[in-house]
Amino acid sequence: MLIQTQQLEKIVETSEGPLQILQPIDLAINAGETVAIVGASGSGKSTLLSLLAGLDIATHGDVLIENEKLSDLDEEQRAKLRADKVGFIFQSFLLVPSLSALENVMLPAELAGHKGAEKEARELLEKVGLSDRWHHYPNQLSGGEQQRVAIARAFVGQPKILFADEPTGNLDSKTGDKVEQLLFDLNKDYGTTLVMVTHDTTLAKRCQRILNMEAGQLAEASQDVA
Amino acid sequence: MWHKISFRLLKQELKRGELTIMALAIILSVTAVLSLSLFSERLQSGLLERSSEFLAADRVLSSRRDIPQEWLEKAEQDGIQTAWRVIFNSMAFANDQLELVDIKAVSDGYPLRGELKVADKPFVEGEVSTTLPPEGEAWVASSLFQALSLEMGDSIEVGNSRFKVTKVVTYEPDVGFSVFTDSPNVIIRYSQLAETGLIQPGSRVRYNVLFAGNPTQLDNYESWLLPQLNDDTHSWRSIEDGDSPLARALNRAERFMMLASLLGVVLAATAVAVAAQRYCQRNYDVVAIFKTLGAGKQQIRKIFVLHLLLLTGISVGVGILLGWLIQSYVINWVAEQLGASLPSASWRPYALAIATGLISAVMFTLYPLFRLISIPPLRVLHRQMVGVQAIRWLQWILSGGTIYGLLVLYSQQWWLSTALFVGGAFAAGILLLIGRVLIGAGRKAGMQAGSAWRLAMAGLQRRASANSVQMLSFSTAIMLLLLVIVLRNDLLADWQRQLPEDAPNYFALNIAEEKVDDLRDMFARENIEATDQYPLIPGRVTHHNGTELIDEVTKEDREEVEEGDREEGFGRELSLTWRDTVPPNNEIVSGSWWGENAEPQVSVERQAAERLEIKVGDTLTFNIGGEVFTVPVTSLREADWGSLQPNFYMIFNTSTLADFPATYITSFHLDSDRKDELYQLFRPFPEASLIDLDAIIDQIREVISQVSIAILFVLVLVMIAGALVLIAQVQASMEERQKELVILRTLGASGKLLSRSISYEFLMLGAISGLIATIAMDLSLLILQTQVFNMEATWHWRLWLLGPISGAVVVALLGRLACARLIRRNTAQLIRKLI
Repeated sequence: MLIQTQQLEKIVETSEGPLQILQPIDLAINAGETVAIVGASGSGKSTLLSLLAGLDIATHGDVLIENEKLSDLDEEQRAKLRADKVGFIFQSFLLVPSLSALENVMLPAELAGHKGAEKEARELLEKVGLSDRWHHYPNQLSGGEQQRVAIARAFVGQPKILFADEPTGNLDSKTGDKVEQLLFDLNKDYGTTLVMVTHDTTLAKRCQRILNMEAGQLAEASQDVA
Repeated sequence: MWHKISFRLLKQELKRGELTIMALAIILSVTAVLSLSLFSERLQSGLLERSSEFLAADRVLSSRRDIPQEWLEKAEQDGIQTAWRVIFNSMAFANDQLELVDIKAVSDGYPLRGELKVADKPFVEGEVSTTLPPEGEAWVASSLFQALSLEMGDSIEVGNSRFKVTKVVTYEPDVGFSVFTDSPNVIIRYSQLAETGLIQPGSRVRYNVLFAGNPTQLDNYESWLLPQLNDDTHSWRSIEDGDSPLARALNRAERFMMLASLLGVVLAATAVAVAAQRYCQRNYDVVAIFKTLGAGKQQIRKIFVLHLLLLTGISVGVGILLGWLIQSYVINWVAEQLGASLPSASWRPYALAIATGLISAVMFTLYPLFRLISIPPLRVLHRQMVGVQAIRWLQWILSGGTIYGLLVLYSQQWWLSTALFVGGAFAAGILLLIGRVLIGAGRKAGMQAGSAWRLAMAGLQRRASANSVQMLSFSTAIMLLLLVIVLRNDLLADWQRQLPEDAPNYFALNIAEEKVDDLRDMFARENIEATDQYPLIPGRVTHHNGTELIDEVTKEDREEVEEGDREEGFGRELSLTWRDTVPPNNEIVSGSWWGENAEPQVSVERQAAERLEIKVGDTLTFNIGGEVFTVPVTSLREADWGSLQPNFYMIFNTSTLADFPATYITSFHLDSDRKDELYQLFRPFPEASLIDLDAIIDQIREVISQVSIAILFVLVLVMIAGALVLIAQVQASMEERQKELVILRTLGASGKLLSRSISYEFLMLGAISGLIATIAMDLSLLILQTQVFNMEATWHWRLWLLGPISGAVVVALLGRLACARLIRRNTAQLIRKLI
């Protein structure tokens, strides 16, 4: 088991009292699986993703990654875990504006202290078809190109898990399709476990499993239902 | 690895101009501090050197008794030049006439600073002399030629010695301003002093030793000498001591430079603070991304601390280079303008500038950096998330402490720094409060206005908290700028008033009563502007409220003074006068002028009254030529000693003194090209003595013009610092406005509407800041003028309109310029930039 949750709950305090965002969730994801979490806006998909990635802390329950309890780790250790095992793709790309495409891709490997970050980054940029744009800054790239840089960055250092938050949400359908294809191709090549939040059912259907999130409750959905 | 990321971020951000404001702020603070302190240090020492001419030395040791020779030897061992100057009164005889003169016995080297000018006939411009009269000869003042009907080559007798008169002294650098007590000067050799037989035990002699050297030598010598001096007999002076118009001008200039520089430092530091805040805010997303990608807090801390240190290091380096360039060009230019070379500066300005840059960059970034490092990684999903806010007080303490520290570091004056800081902090608190109230009021007023106004008002209100902080820095910048400008103008106007173009440049004394009308006619006929003619009657004040006053305070006398049996007096004969009206430039500060009242009474000058603790209603007893009488004090007067007109400690009403024999005194202005006529004009008044003030006036004017240039330079630097604060602040607020702009733009708001609403918003902000700044400025001026500069306080009503208007225009323009770039971009670009 690569990722596991035990009675995972998230409650936030609001001015009108506590608000339960996630009902207790038990979930298991195996290595190499591709999982889509679908649901309406505000259903709690992104919150679940942030808990699974160790970006946020659960109110109750636990997340285990390779049997390591995230609640036992402090912020530094969780960062280390992300550096070693996790890659990210976001709807808004989240590239560092002052770094070039190549430097953005190198960043996770450098932060993790890997040697040969540049070589690996160049290879990945080539794979995403941006070998001629490596010295461009994010604002000199189109949305699709930026997301391709983000995909290259996500795979650098060969993480075991890839978390993707609406990876095509900001792109037109044609570009979205291309980016989608690239993501799944690379995922296959690297044998990465993919956990993707999306409300795009077509995209979700490309995953092996689809989980449906509704008002903080998670349920396994069949491919047909989704 | 982290240092690579740090270098890379810095390189790219510098290349893309994203660190410009922060770098500029640090560069400016370093440049400003360096050039200001280099400039003021060099100019100050240049000015001091120049003004030391008025002492004929850098320092003067005066004593009523002879000065031990070993004190001079010690100074010479230290590399300090010395010269004797012994001054005493004596009678001089020539051509069967006699006249009271001031004998000045000087040794080789005199004057150590400034030049002696001599001529071959009286009342002409002289030539610089590099020598002193040879033994057996005397050089005398022009007026003595008149008084003793001298011809060049005649002999004068002084004590047991005879001296041949071989030159006319036309200018002595150290002649001073005390025209009423000075008799014509006779310069002889110090080596011949003993032969005259005039120095006896008990004679009233002023022994002076002149010293000249570099500041370090003088300071070292001073610390060796001062413990050995006796307060009763010795006095140790530099040009900055004393109450001469020059000393006052210099002191004021020095205080102004110090104050303006301090304000410049505060402004530059404010710019750094604003920029530091923005520098960190800009990196919130970057840190969140770094953390998401697995960077730990330690790593982030290292990356950004190195980033900041590199940026600071580079900026400080550029600042030092710029500061050095500015001072070498500007100072050379100034030196050319003044026709003088300025001494080179010490290492202190460099150390100070580097320290200022480092301290302000590091200290002001500390808190924002702390928040930056604490940005949660979750911000990648929830963009509104920010770091720890709990210890906001820490920011206030850090920023306040830093500004106070810089003030102390720069001024090295605790009281001035503390006063400025406490006053500033208090004002800042009030400004913050007023700002919020005014913004609230603006919202209500704006509800009815047109669309752009409504948008602007809503914006102001929504950002009330951010805006009131912003307004604080706008107000501070505008206020400090206004303060420096107004203070400069007042200071210059004050000097100008004291020394107008037609300021009297001659005093005529000893005019016989029956010749006064002739003299007045002569002035009218020759078109010469003169002050009133004042009768002059020598007399002593002997008792105050029946208690005896003593002139020469001995040790025994002091005991009696302490026991209250006797009081300390003026120490000399005074020049008394009488008048019907209050003299021009005098002002009654207590009691009332007599008008038609013929009862005997006297009006006393305020400073003298304070020294002798005389109040209105007290009685003073006078002795004029043996006749003793007592009168009540009915008023105290403020006299303007800087003005070149006769001033008096004691003025009586006409009936009290009119019967005493008097000579008359007046001062007048004669253009320098009419100097040659002077001898002719005064031929009918052979008994009159003339004192020429032209050379002194010229020198004071020259010093003042040097100071004015210095002040202008300081003003320009302070203005640049102020502008940078405004730009940094507008830039910072643009970031916040971006999102709103995108939304409005997307909803179809026209560029015109947006730029108008932003302009209006900044217009309002600027106007309110300008108004607050003006109020704060006028209040601060009131305190500064009365407490620091000893000037008369004035209100600046015109600025009450100018402050808000200029604040509104400048801030609105800057705001509009900053947002023009944003509005020009199309919506898609903006959206891409934001998301």
